Amino acid sequence: MSLLSVNTVDRLDRPSAYFGKNKRRRYNDEEEQQQQEKADDKLKTATTLYVGNLSFYTTEEQIHELFAKCGEIKRLVMGLDRFNKTPCGFCFVEYYTHQDALDCLKYVGGTKLDERIIRTDLDPGFEEGRQFGRGKSGGQVRDEYREEYDPGRGGYGRAYDEQRQREEDEYGAGR
Amino acid sequence: MSEYDRRNQGRGDRGGRKRRYRDDDDFDRRPQRRRYEEPLFAVIRRQLLTIAESAARRVEDDIQGIAKSVADNYDDEEIRRDFVNISLDLVHEQPMKIPFIAGTVLVAHSLKPELGSEIITKAAGALQKYIDTGAWREVKLLIRFLGLLQPLYEGEGIFPLLEELFARAVDLQTASSEDLLGLELVKVIQFTLPYVMLSPASGFEAQASGLLEKTDIIATTPHALVDLVNTFSPEENQSAAGQSVISLMQSQLQREASNGWELKCLPRPWKDLRDPETDEFKSFDSVTKVAFPEITVPSPVPNGPHPLFPEVYLSVYADQEVDTVPSTDDISSSLIRDALVDTINLLDFNRVATAKFLIDIDCYFTPYTFVKRATPFDRMRELAGEIQPWKPEDVAVDAVFSQLFQLPAAEHKLVYYHSVLTECCKIAPAAIAPSLGRAIRFLYNNLDTMDLELSQRFLDWFAHHLSNFGFTWKWSEWTDDLDLPAIHPKIAFINGALDKEIRLSFAQRIKGTLPEPYPKLITSGKEKDTPEFKFASDMAPYAKEGQEIMQLIRKKATDEEIQPVITAIEDQAKSQGVEDPKIPSTDAFVTSICFVGSKSLSHVLSCIDRSKDRLLTIGAESKHARTQIITSVMEYWVDQPGIAINIIDKLLNYTILSPLSVLEWAFVESVAAGTILSKPHVFEMISATVGKVTNRMRQIVAARTQPGLYEPQLTAIDETLSREREDMQTLFKYIEDSIVSIAAGSNDEQMERGDGSGDLPEDVIIRQWGRRWLRVFRRKVAVEEAFISDALANATPLGTEAPAGATDGDLDIADADVDAGVQ
Repeated sequence: MSLLSVNTVDRLDRPSAYFGKNKRRRYNDEEEQQQQEKADDKLKTATTLYVGNLSFYTTEEQIHELFAKCGEIKRLVMGLDRFNKTPCGFCFVEYYTHQDALDCLKYVGGTKLDERIIRTDLDPGFEEGRQFGRGKSGGQVRDEYREEYDPGRGGYGRAYDEQRQREEDEYGAGR
Repeated sequence: MSEYDRRNQGRGDRGGRKRRYRDDDDFDRRPQRRRYEEPLFAVIRRQLLTIAESAARRVEDDIQGIAKSVADNYDDEEIRRDFVNISLDLVHEQPMKIPFIAGTVLVAHSLKPELGSEIITKAAGALQKYIDTGAWREVKLLIRFLGLLQPLYEGEGIFPLLEELFARAVDLQTASSEDLLGLELVKVIQFTLPYVMLSPASGFEAQASGLLEKTDIIATTPHALVDLVNTFSPEENQSAAGQSVISLMQSQLQREASNGWELKCLPRPWKDLRDPETDEFKSFDSVTKVAFPEITVPSPVPNGPHPLFPEVYLSVYADQEVDTVPSTDDISSSLIRDALVDTINLLDFNRVATAKFLIDIDCYFTPYTFVKRATPFDRMRELAGEIQPWKPEDVAVDAVFSQLFQLPAAEHKLVYYHSVLTECCKIAPAAIAPSLGRAIRFLYNNLDTMDLELSQRFLDWFAHHLSNFGFTWKWSEWTDDLDLPAIHPKIAFINGALDKEIRLSFAQRIKGTLPEPYPKLITSGKEKDTPEFKFASDMAPYAKEGQEIMQLIRKKATDEEIQPVITAIEDQAKSQGVEDPKIPSTDAFVTSICFVGSKSLSHVLSCIDRSKDRLLTIGAESKHARTQIITSVMEYWVDQPGIAINIIDKLLNYTILSPLSVLEWAFVESVAAGTILSKPHVFEMISATVGKVTNRMRQIVAARTQPGLYEPQLTAIDETLSREREDMQTLFKYIEDSIVSIAAGSNDEQMERGDGSGDLPEDVIIRQWGRRWLRVFRRKVAVEEAFISDALANATPLGTEAPAGATDGDLDIADADVDAGVQ
């Protein structure tokens, strides 16, 4: 009911800068600008959330149990490793209404699921193909070069781990 | 977590590294620009927004500083506009700061009367808008702010407006004894009075007492719905049942009036203000007076979009040996609660900010109202008897629970209140966790008499909260209760909580968090990812056919391939004299679907989707087969009822099951002499099923009442509405009839139990479950019926034709429109 256009504290139900991050650089031509506006419009009515930082072992049922607290879930798409089709730590949750998606950003994003702090972001909508990781080795890009050991997400980053192994081998061979 | 921990480390050594996380933007790695002087408007803006937030600064200094800067720069339009707008924004969103904002305005007005006039005019404009739209919380907050400026007005100031609001309340109450809007107006008056009396204005005691005398009758006459929304049904627990907020406030106000309006918890930041030049205490009497703005209160007053219900005062710290929260005799209990509740509900868009305000509660009330933060409960015990300050964490947590347990419905989704408590715990774990512990103990100890819907909310919150904090709880303190009968509410709670914990995690993990003897409550069945397929054992009847069907479903075989096996089962059953051969064939089919789809929810959904037609036919052909679908699902997932409920939910969406069939399954097939009522997951399933029906009903009502609807659509949609309304009533009637007999102990199975006397200790518990179920669903009936008749009262009457010239082609109110929710 409030008449405020700007709130006195930040809102947690704003989309992140993820979409439009690449396009924002400079509007080279009109077409590009229109595309950008279209994407913004899509987020204004979006009913889908991208959910990140899940453990590889978190199941659909667990996600359902938590996210249904914000409204009935229309569709849940697990993020999969492109090559071996196993969960790789993200998913898309689609609600029936935009409000449910916003509420989820406010109330569930940044809380724990399966004892990990999860991330939620408004998403313009799932499209076939987006369920797969885009990293070189099949998982998410962020799991390629991760230098920390994360048991819930396959240990070290894969590319990082490979390099580490190689260096170790070479070091051993050199001796 | 790693993503979060790492943010501040290892910067600068990887030049040209890509921006990888959304938060990276917060850290600018470029060399900083030369420092520049912060412009004055930005300083004022910041000071205003954070007014009273810091315990390290004297708020009086800030008030004088802001007022002086704004008055000195009156000609700077940006500063003036910011001051007016931000002050009012804070009144809207951060109610605990209203006295401080009012203090600033009082001082600003004494320096530059135009400032006071400007802000009063703007506030009055907003107030008028809220009165016209029936936004009564916003009305309350703006009137509170205007009331605190009472010394600035000519004559009686705000009182004529309060009198007028009261007159409307009287009109409404005279018109109907069921009226709730009049009660809301009385509440607005009640929660304005203390602030008017708090203001530096003097000589209004007579007006205040006069109003109080008038509100007395309305505030103290109990409304018929109060009992229905009470945390504790007065029948079950008279001593714990709370009083209505307005009747409580009425007696507290009267006590306060006779004590000369001491109002000891509310801050008076204007009291110790000295004039910087003369060093004398500031007086607001001599300043230029302004006329109280013209406000029109329409008659009758409207109500906004939110339906009204009586509110009941709940405290989870009510019966402690030492008082840690203000008692209900003390007006502080109502005043602090009111400010906190509004803060919580207004700031749902930033739970972290909400939690911060709750933790900082001691900044916003008179100093020494509370003990030091994080004072342990044992220390409170030692302090008892001396001065009686309260424990800030308990007061804050109490307010959140009062909203989580609001009946018939909380303002926001319940998970918001979960998240506020989680954030509070994150900000101040050592202070909040023990408070939560005592709240949990209070609720647990009163489980048997608490409203059943609320004990379910408690269960839900408890498991969700623990899931955010490593599932640690002192289970050992409830060990003795494990000897209670299996259907006891405490056992139901413990089992229900463990089940919900497992749903958010997994059985082995939860088992590892439990002390002896709790692990045995998590059976080996719960630890299996995939429950066994009963037809895998050759001993099972129809084992061969069951396995065959399972293989066919797995192979995605066509219906024609499956049919012969189904027929084989039915023939066999018939030859064995089974009354309804569809029952074993349905069991084999549905159990196979569950088994093949046991890998995940999407697996079972695609299995159901493929078998949709057959399932729809089964459901339509035989009532028994329809309940068998539910039985098979519930039996296959007996150890993980959360999954079973989920599948039932989807089957309802597909209309393979009807809501009534779910009720029949519970109250006929599985009633088990009423013991089924003790199962939390059954209550969850029935509530969800009824929720689907009432949601659909509300969508139809919304379609029927949308403006600009004309014939012939009006009649079409009205027919749908009547039909669905009847269906809903049938459903509620079925629940009522089924549970009434259990609550009375006259259910057939109950009568056959034991010696038939109905006096077994278990029988007493079962009848209590029955009464608690009944209360929940009777309330739902009352709420839904009230909603429908309220909405229809303002709907376009049937027979209304489109005005000439209007196009009627753009209305999308086809029947299909209200079929949302079907996947």
